Amino acid sequence: MNPVAPSDFVLWLTLAAMWLPFISFLTIFFITRTQLALSLAVSVSCAAVSLLAAWYLLLGLPAAQPPVEFKMLWMAGAEARISYGFLLDPLSRLMLCIVASISFLVQVYSLGYMAGDDGMAKYYSFLSLFAWSMISLVVAPGLLQLYVFWELVGLSSYLLIGFWHHKFSASEAGKKAFVMTRLGDLGFFLGIIVLLLHLGDLSILKLNAQAAAKLSAGLVTASAVLIFMGVVGKSAQFPLLTWLPDAMEGPTPVSALLHSATMVAAGVYLVSRLFPFYAASPDALMVVLAIGTVTMLLSSTMAMVARDIKQVWAFSTVSQLGFMLMGLGAGSYFAGVFHLTTHAAFKALLFLCSGVFIHHFGSNDMYDIARGGGRRLKVPMITITIAGAALAGVFPAAGFFSKESIMGALAGLPQPGWLAAGLAGAAMTAYYTSRLLFVLWFPRQIAAPHHEEHGHGEAAAHSAFGYWAMGVPLLILAGFALVLGFFGDGILNFLHWGRPPEFFHHVWLAPVSLILVACGIGLAWLEFGRKKAAQAGFLSRLPAVEALFANRWYMDAFYRCMLDYVVYGVFSRLFTLNDRRVVDGGVDGVCRGTVGGGWLLSFLQSGLLQYNLFTMVLIIALVGLYFLVMH
Amino acid sequence: MNSLTVYLFVALLLFCIGMFGLLQRRSLIGMIISIELMLNAAGINFMAFNRFLGPDPAVGQIMVLFIMGIAAAEAAIALSLTLALFRKLRSINIEHARDLRG
Repeated sequence: MNPVAPSDFVLWLTLAAMWLPFISFLTIFFITRTQLALSLAVSVSCAAVSLLAAWYLLLGLPAAQPPVEFKMLWMAGAEARISYGFLLDPLSRLMLCIVASISFLVQVYSLGYMAGDDGMAKYYSFLSLFAWSMISLVVAPGLLQLYVFWELVGLSSYLLIGFWHHKFSASEAGKKAFVMTRLGDLGFFLGIIVLLLHLGDLSILKLNAQAAAKLSAGLVTASAVLIFMGVVGKSAQFPLLTWLPDAMEGPTPVSALLHSATMVAAGVYLVSRLFPFYAASPDALMVVLAIGTVTMLLSSTMAMVARDIKQVWAFSTVSQLGFMLMGLGAGSYFAGVFHLTTHAAFKALLFLCSGVFIHHFGSNDMYDIARGGGRRLKVPMITITIAGAALAGVFPAAGFFSKESIMGALAGLPQPGWLAAGLAGAAMTAYYTSRLLFVLWFPRQIAAPHHEEHGHGEAAAHSAFGYWAMGVPLLILAGFALVLGFFGDGILNFLHWGRPPEFFHHVWLAPVSLILVACGIGLAWLEFGRKKAAQAGFLSRLPAVEALFANRWYMDAFYRCMLDYVVYGVFSRLFTLNDRRVVDGGVDGVCRGTVGGGWLLSFLQSGLLQYNLFTMVLIIALVGLYFLVMH
Repeated sequence: MNSLTVYLFVALLLFCIGMFGLLQRRSLIGMIISIELMLNAAGINFMAFNRFLGPDPAVGQIMVLFIMGIAAAEAAIALSLTLALFRKLRSINIEHARDLRG
């Protein structure tokens, strides 16, 4: 369908949704940073307006209207024209709404969580910056604009992960996130250059519609795989997945934002955004599918042994992103996007709930939280259970439906191995999720309730306002995590302009995957839930395997070695040598040459007047002789 | 004997003696005397050219008067420099004034 220009109302509404967070960032950062209350009001109200605009754009416009595109010329060259603007089609409208909602809820939640922190105003300005970059990324009509905001998302997540920068590990984690995602972005940028050179136009709509016809198959595959490298970095896929668990060093609401709707979702969003382009190359889709599968399996095993509550969710995010990419790689646009949507709701919820526990008990360790009496906190305990059920894929919760659609897509593939891997992943997901929930629900010894204060900003957080600022977003998200699954068909219709493709339903699939999920939960119950359980996983009987999983398959150690031996050992050494020998040596050589030359020439200066006179006479005589001979 | 060549030859001889003295003498006074010789050689040239070739007899004589004036001024300056150098070095040998050797 050809795009149409927006009406004035839609134009202003979208621009408001896009730019209000940025205005709020500027206002807080440069003007109101010292006035906390004013800064909070600015940030939250901008986020609220942005949220309302996003919901109107999702629900208020007719579902089946052609994509709305607004473009202003940004740069024009001889052959390429690059524009700035926005593109509203079902996918970007849906994603816009997710991003605006999650970032609004996180901002509200942070009112309680961050209360009393010295840098709270700065924190809110960064949150606004984050929202602005992500929203602009989502509605970008061209790849270059998308890339610019893609990097801005990386920057703002760096700022937020390292927000408590006085903590060494936090600043290290921020740096790691920044550098690892940048590795992938290199490929993304090369892919953009390849497309620009061969197409001369980076418009997403044109790319999706015409790339297959205008480019050779090899070129489509190459550029798709290059762009996918950016996705691997951003969405923490194998082999660049280890930055995400470390990113837990940031404040917990930031993790919620990062994991559900913004940073890591951007990668999956990019693949869905360019889905017709990817679909033009079966090889590229196969790469997506393979990387997604490997990542999903690896990170599930890591989650099975983690003790840190946020680490468990971080690994589960990585594996759920792997699931989304599997869905997309299997050729089902809808499955990937649907799982992205439900995942945004329940993963944000999981992190926000964990945040309440961490805030209350001052510990990230799930056993500590359980011993401290975590189950006495009713609201987060119930909502985390709902979210966990959604993550595990238990029937009425959202995750069940979206994971089913991915399994359906996998079952449609000719090789049964993909489906087997997906089902194994689902079972592992159920196991590690319920392991954590059982540990929280059935602690071995509970300490007596105490009112010791932990963490930061505790005085404000225990006030009624702080409690409800954190509680209400939990309840809202829990509602979404419960009911979102039933809107699957609606989203399917919406995404496909009301003409969904024929789906082949596998009747046997739902019971099989439910049985596997039940097996996972049952195993967790035997080990962690029942009265006499030792609360030690079966993996603790296999120390080698457990160590392998706990050390993230030694990927970090591998990177450390690579860094030490290859980067520091070879490249840094060579560059240092170059610096010392060639650059420094060159400068020193010039100096030494000048000094030596001066030393040699100084012999001419005998200091005796008559030698100088003699030279003068000699030269004049020679000149005279010359003229005499010439004339 | 009354031709231009003779005068020019005498002047050349005088100039060469002066130049040789300037280059050879290590004493500042000797060098100054040599310079005087060279200046006088130039004066002889002027007078000879004026006498044999010049249409106006006054020009060459004026130049010679100028040269004599310059010679007097030069002698005054050079002698005072020599004096200053002598006060500093207790010597007027040019080989002792080699502070600017590289």
